[in-house]
Amino acid sequence: MSRVPYHELKARERLAAIVDPGSFAEILPPPARVMSPYLPKLGIPVAFDDGLAIGRATIDGKPIYLAAQTGQFVGGSVGEVHSAKLVGLLKAAARDRLPCVLLIESGGVRLHEGSSGEIGIAEAIRAVFACRAAGAPVIAVIGSDIGAYGGMGILSACCDFRVMTEHGRLGISGPIVIEKWMGKAAYDSADRALVWKTSGGKTRYLLGDANALVNDDTAAVRAGIARLLGPASPVTLAAIEARQAELAARLEQFAAVTSPEAIWQARGVTDPAAATLDDAETFVASLAPAAP
Amino acid sequence: MTTAELLPLLFGESAAGITVTDQILTGYATVAGQDVAVLGTADGTYINNAAALRLSAHVIEVVKTRPGLPIVMLVDSAGQEPNRTAEMLGLAGYFGHLLASLELARNQSHRLLTLATGKAIGGAFICYGMFADAIYALDSASVGLMPVEAMAAVTKIPVATLEELSKTLPALEFGAEPFALLGGVKEVWPTDASLPAKLAAALASATTEDDRARLGKERGGRTLAFDVQQRVLADSAR
Repeated sequence: MSRVPYHELKARERLAAIVDPGSFAEILPPPARVMSPYLPKLGIPVAFDDGLAIGRATIDGKPIYLAAQTGQFVGGSVGEVHSAKLVGLLKAAARDRLPCVLLIESGGVRLHEGSSGEIGIAEAIRAVFACRAAGAPVIAVIGSDIGAYGGMGILSACCDFRVMTEHGRLGISGPIVIEKWMGKAAYDSADRALVWKTSGGKTRYLLGDANALVNDDTAAVRAGIARLLGPASPVTLAAIEARQAELAARLEQFAAVTSPEAIWQARGVTDPAAATLDDAETFVASLAPAAP
Repeated sequence: MTTAELLPLLFGESAAGITVTDQILTGYATVAGQDVAVLGTADGTYINNAAALRLSAHVIEVVKTRPGLPIVMLVDSAGQEPNRTAEMLGLAGYFGHLLASLELARNQSHRLLTLATGKAIGGAFICYGMFADAIYALDSASVGLMPVEAMAAVTKIPVATLEELSKTLPALEFGAEPFALLGGVKEVWPTDASLPAKLAAALASATTEDDRARLGKERGGRTLAFDVQQRVLADSAR
């Protein structure tokens, strides 16, 4: 079967490609015309779904809730309506104790809607943890060039699991902001190799921030999600203490490190230059056992 | 008002139990006779990986050694540190962990209360302060996504346009009062001697329900969020 690049698809194409055929039932679809009240006042075109498709579907016959952001619409940004759809979906998933899969493609809060989207993301983060408390896993899928940044980067980090492709990026401040802040010598936002090695799927996987790194292929993304549709990752004292220790050790190990290549080598990549070109599966399979 | 002036105003002599190291606050104090744990940021500092980790370490200590002790979170931070190595080492993961540690505390019956005391901006507010059961702000606090000048620079919409629109759209205005209209903070407090009594009453009345969307609708600042959430809940139940 030929490969269908996940990162090239639009939101509803992604949804259709990863769920059981014909199983997606959209909630508040475009004909419902639930739109931003802000953008028209700023002279910006609206979208009838405010850049987010939500609904129910099945994967391998298992019912789930899903959301997919549209990166082509104001950068996948999160405004009042967009965030309210997301919060409602997460609350429904917690209520019904069903997994919730978030196909993320967003630079974060929609600046044009000011603090409204910021509060909406904070509500969505509360709702993510309500799902986790209900035993309903929330899975963030990050496989687009826009990635998950700002508040959506933080929200992604709060989910039970993250599935990434080598195209996906996960962070808070984007490269352009950092370049302005630190200068081009410290971070050239046009240096795509450096940008992806800083925040891309391979580095996030090596450091343990992504649970799965899969090929940029809808079948591989679907398989990566399907493997995580089991038990949630509960927020227990033991889990929190283990993560605290892991994150402290990471800071200590890499305190003096500035190049991503040094992290790659420390985490089992023997030839970073060659591994840059590997697809995800080859990359994961070729990792040497990590040094203790 | 500096942190050194504010802490005694809030906690009296018990403010001595709060340590400020590199603009990160951790410790214990009393509010109107009630013991609380305190954590937070000071002087508009930027939050980096190490700072987030120190805050989560304090949350873990409180959960393990002081069961059920309320946690008061003070926010005075301009944002996440925009730094390449911070991002490379996974700053989002450090923030997510801080939020997870607070969720652990909430699930173990620790009330979480936030007071925005200075800057409470963007990711710095999301990564702990906005996660509380009840959120308050001083009237002098700078609360919001970003100041209007910064918003204009990024969106290429003139400052004058944004300022005109903000008269009817409080989401575009920067500050504690407009943020309260959106439901993002419960009340805005003056910086005076009434603060300890207000904090104590707020701790007593806090619940774990997230009522921000309902408040935003009632106050008219965020008119659609609550109804859209409810529609999704209703439509998904069919």
